[in-house]
Amino acid sequence: MKPTIGIPQAMLHWEFDGALARFVQALGHEILMSPATHRSIFERGKRLVLDELCFPVKVFMGHVAWLRAKEVDRILIPVIVGHENNQVFPCHLRTRLADLAVTLGVCSRERLFSPSFRFDANGLTFSGFLELGHQLGADSDEIAAAVPTAAAPLTTSSHEDRRTPARLRIALLGHPYVVRDSWVNGGVASKLRCLGCQVIEEPGLGFCPQGTGLHFDLAARTLTLARQWDRNRSIDGIIFLLPFNCGPDGDIARHMIETTQTPMLTLVLDELQSDGGVLTRLEAFVDQLSVVRGMQGASVT
Amino acid sequence: MNHFTFSWGNNYIAVRALLRAVGHKLQRPPRINASVIERGIQAAHPFLCFSGKLVLGQLQQQVTEGAERMVFMSSLGPEACRCADTSEYMESLFCGVCPAFSAHRIGGSGFDSALANLRAHFGPGVRKSQCVRGYAHFFRKLDLIHKVEKCCAALRCLSSDPLAVRLLETEALARVDEANGWLSMWNMSRWFDRRIAALPKRDGPPRLRIGVVGGEHILSELGDIMQKLKTIAETGVLLDWRGGFRQLARADDRQRAPLKQKCRTYLTESVSTSELYSCAHAIDFVHEGYDGLLHIYAFGCMPQTALKPILQRLANDNDVPMLSLSIGDRFADEGLENRVEAFIDLLDARRPTQGA
Repeated sequence: MKPTIGIPQAMLHWEFDGALARFVQALGHEILMSPATHRSIFERGKRLVLDELCFPVKVFMGHVAWLRAKEVDRILIPVIVGHENNQVFPCHLRTRLADLAVTLGVCSRERLFSPSFRFDANGLTFSGFLELGHQLGADSDEIAAAVPTAAAPLTTSSHEDRRTPARLRIALLGHPYVVRDSWVNGGVASKLRCLGCQVIEEPGLGFCPQGTGLHFDLAARTLTLARQWDRNRSIDGIIFLLPFNCGPDGDIARHMIETTQTPMLTLVLDELQSDGGVLTRLEAFVDQLSVVRGMQGASVT
Repeated sequence: MNHFTFSWGNNYIAVRALLRAVGHKLQRPPRINASVIERGIQAAHPFLCFSGKLVLGQLQQQVTEGAERMVFMSSLGPEACRCADTSEYMESLFCGVCPAFSAHRIGGSGFDSALANLRAHFGPGVRKSQCVRGYAHFFRKLDLIHKVEKCCAALRCLSSDPLAVRLLETEALARVDEANGWLSMWNMSRWFDRRIAALPKRDGPPRLRIGVVGGEHILSELGDIMQKLKTIAETGVLLDWRGGFRQLARADDRQRAPLKQKCRTYLTESVSTSELYSCAHAIDFVHEGYDGLLHIYAFGCMPQTALKPILQRLANDNDVPMLSLSIGDRFADEGLENRVEAFIDLLDARRPTQGA
């Protein structure tokens, strides 16, 4: 009988756009995905990790702890070992998630699957899938057949929500595991939609920025996106989702905010945020954008 | 032409030697003090690591004093950190204060890229021979600085005349800076060896042996904090610090492989930076029977924050006490003294009594 694989629905799951879960399923394994993040999951993680670790890592460890208590045979925490271009590098905490889970006592080494993955310009390289597939007992043909399934839904362009008529177009800027995890970001996207805004989210995998001169991949990605959206005149505002104590974004935050012309709201995300507080700030931002847009419209007409 | 940089503790001396080899000068960076720290805090985002804030504060002070041409040494690889190739970022920070500000990275992941970076900044007139000479001097001086600092830290404990050790350290570092050429550096090293040999020795072995691991930047930069720790060494506690910038500047896969092997129980194969060295040194200290581990790192330092629970696990597995000190802008000297004193007391209490 094939082992059941537990997959934390946090950080790397969002960053890899769910590719690992699809890959494992395509190889015929059952998976158990941890539920969408909620406060009790976060509280589990918070109790286990150091205060100094960033907010998403605390959330991630909560998911791993949730899986530990379930009847899964193995838990999948991939290791990101770098980028093929050797120009940008993953942040230290993302590369050490498996080590942290073990040393913090969240999960035993024997219960972990931690294959090594690299990124290239198109997303995850094949070698990581090969390693994971072999760990799962699949042969090379099965792996080759499963990889397209895993990769198929990967997104390479901006998600644009066209369900609501555009009062304002607002882009959400931040790491994938922040933008896509609605508990972590305080439900920003749904709140904006309720305010009548069209929400633009960042591109998914397959985005490996170079040329910013920055060391960390996600910081380079954030800065590149900010510049792209800054040049896009159809975007009225940018909301920068900055998780508490994020080192890479902490490097660029000030520089990026000061050099971006498009109005930008920075939301620092942590466990202390309240729904009311987030909503109030979003309402104020949207109101300001509406005023600016109205003034621009008036000057054009 | 005169340039400026951040200090890296005393390692700016090595950068100065490199610049001298290509016909340029490097001014002495200001000492890290409360004013520099405050400037850095003002300039940086709160989430930037404390070392980064110190660097920004030090650079900003020099810019406001009229310095224009900044160079900074950085390898370009996973062992580098945020300071790797951030010229554009630096320019955006300081161009408002100084329109003529320019920032250039020197260093590289190999000889060709190092030469290209030197030429990009100093012009195509930089010859290969100058580049070779510059880097040879740079690494030799890093070694000498390392030797002086680490020997003197140990001698604080091993010598019965700590004041002489302090004076020797100051004089030796000045001599490293002045040494220009292979012969003078060799002479300096010999001179230092002779002076060490002449120091009076303390009777008996050290009371305690503590292995110091942590972020190179913070260990090198914070002279005041390290001075306090070195004062503890004068009470008969051997402080052994095996880190150093040389290993970060010259790390390659061949050098890292045995370290990865040593650390494989705690660190999986992944991008390895200073945490690999810190973990390997900590394992060495534990295997060599040191009484305790002292982990010092900057608040917000990602490699060291990721390493902290790993070191705690290592210490628990081997029943060796460990004290982690996170240095940030809310750090109080009294807190440091109290915690370190309590740690030393704990280590003393754990030692088997001689009679027993």
